[in-house]
Amino acid sequence: MFNQGLSLDQAPPISVPFRFFLTAPLFGILLGIFFFFSPFEVISNQYSPEAIGAVHLFTLGMLSMIIFGAMQQMMPVLAGAVVKKPILFANIVHTSLTLGTLLLAAYFLFSIKIALHIGALFLAVAFLTFSYYSIKLLFKVQFLTSTVKAMRLFSLCTFITVLLGLYIASSHMSSNIGESHYVFVNAHALFGIFGFAVLLIMGVAFQVIPMFYVAQDFPKPFQNKVPLIVFALLFVCFIFLYLNFDIFILKTAFTVIFLLFAYLGLKSLSNRKRPVFDVTLWYWKLSLCMLAVSMLIFLAGAMESNYVLAILFAFGFLYSLLQGMVYKIIPFLAWFHLTSKGYFTVPTLREFIDEKYIKYNFYLHVSSIILFVVAYYINPLIYLAAVLFIVSNILFLINCITAVLKYKDIANTDPMDMSAFK
Amino acid sequence: MESISSFLTHDHRACDEEFASMENAVAQLNWQEAQEKFDKFKNDLLHHFDMEEKVMFEAFEQRTGMTQGPTMVMRMEHEQMRQILDQLNADIQSQDKDHFFGVSESLMMLMQQHNMKEEQMLYAMADAHLGADVAKVVEDMKAL
Repeated sequence: MFNQGLSLDQAPPISVPFRFFLTAPLFGILLGIFFFFSPFEVISNQYSPEAIGAVHLFTLGMLSMIIFGAMQQMMPVLAGAVVKKPILFANIVHTSLTLGTLLLAAYFLFSIKIALHIGALFLAVAFLTFSYYSIKLLFKVQFLTSTVKAMRLFSLCTFITVLLGLYIASSHMSSNIGESHYVFVNAHALFGIFGFAVLLIMGVAFQVIPMFYVAQDFPKPFQNKVPLIVFALLFVCFIFLYLNFDIFILKTAFTVIFLLFAYLGLKSLSNRKRPVFDVTLWYWKLSLCMLAVSMLIFLAGAMESNYVLAILFAFGFLYSLLQGMVYKIIPFLAWFHLTSKGYFTVPTLREFIDEKYIKYNFYLHVSSIILFVVAYYINPLIYLAAVLFIVSNILFLINCITAVLKYKDIANTDPMDMSAFK
Repeated sequence: MESISSFLTHDHRACDEEFASMENAVAQLNWQEAQEKFDKFKNDLLHHFDMEEKVMFEAFEQRTGMTQGPTMVMRMEHEQMRQILDQLNADIQSQDKDHFFGVSESLMMLMQQHNMKEEQMLYAMADAHLGADVAKVVEDMKAL
């Protein structure tokens, strides 16, 4: 429609993004417990079922969970793309993603085959629903910005990742692991990580960094061409993998591009015009630095095991950024919905969550990453790393709940309750 | 030829910079300068709203016949921002730095979300619908 996305009413109800954001730290706690009880040599071996289970607890329960929640909020604003029945949509996607993730993890951990069957079904529902709607809505957008273009590619990558994932799941179901199995596994990982996660982060960064920090834009050619190049490279990579060609040159290309992205992002943040300090800035900077470091490790293939790379990329780059984003979005939504409903005394953005506790969360988060990495050399430290990770996620959860409760306390009062005026 | 989109987007950025420099003054606890920067920012922001509400939105509404559509929502959001300006002013006068930054963060988020909607949809729509009249609309806005 003509005025799609321009109305306040078309933002989804606040319960939609909140349920996704509050679920992610729960999966974080679960993942921490999982690290605590798994022997190091098992969890650090990328081919072990336990490690694959851990990876999916993260990518589905935390990464996809937050991305799905945030996209339902961002699509109307950034792209004028509105989901018509937001509650129904959120119910379907959130429930099936949560159950699917738990079941898939149960399959990898306890080899319960039926869990794989049902889990894959739930995940198919969650991801196909999400990708169907995001592709449909984003490809209808008339006026394209670099962010919308990147989001379109993200939505296509979501779909491709799911198809590959379902294909892999079906070969697990039939215990028919063929010669080309790892071609599909690698392609699934590549489309998921570089396509689904990084393309979206790029698109969001193009918009969010310059606007919210009053900072330099990413260079236009970079904004317009790079996401498309990454998308194309993913297909080339798939073909190379299939034909068993050496992919070093492609790894180099990805590394150069992502290093450049990290560099431009950090440069823009450092030269920002707003003096305002907030912890989300730390999260952004940490995240982009971790992206750079992990790409260098990826390129060098320096380590026998991909454990350190996975820790730095998943927790260092992705989770840092996601946490920073959630800490920015939750208070804003709480404030925005309350003021839009006409409440007069609404806390300011900084009063929903005490910054002190966000800082504690940040320190815990960083310490857990450092210890996870050091545990590669001194294995028993994994216990401490896991405990810190759990505590960090509990604090993340508490901080988010605090804001939600403050919101609820006010939302439960009557905005028009100004007795003197009655 | 300057489009509505490029002209008003540029003005958004200019307001953002005024805003940042006001925040800088508050961060340095230079309250007198903060007041001056606030006045300048307020002036420019309200001028921006006027250019839209009195010129561009009017032209858009006349051309498309849509008065209850996007421009109405934009007017409502302008109103929301006008109210926050008063809070900022009060914080500067009572020299309450912490509260100021809480409020300024709210205004920033609101402003940017609003800007995204305008820059990504409304301005592009206006340029498309107003066609040959774009130059005149831009000129009228500049004259205001």
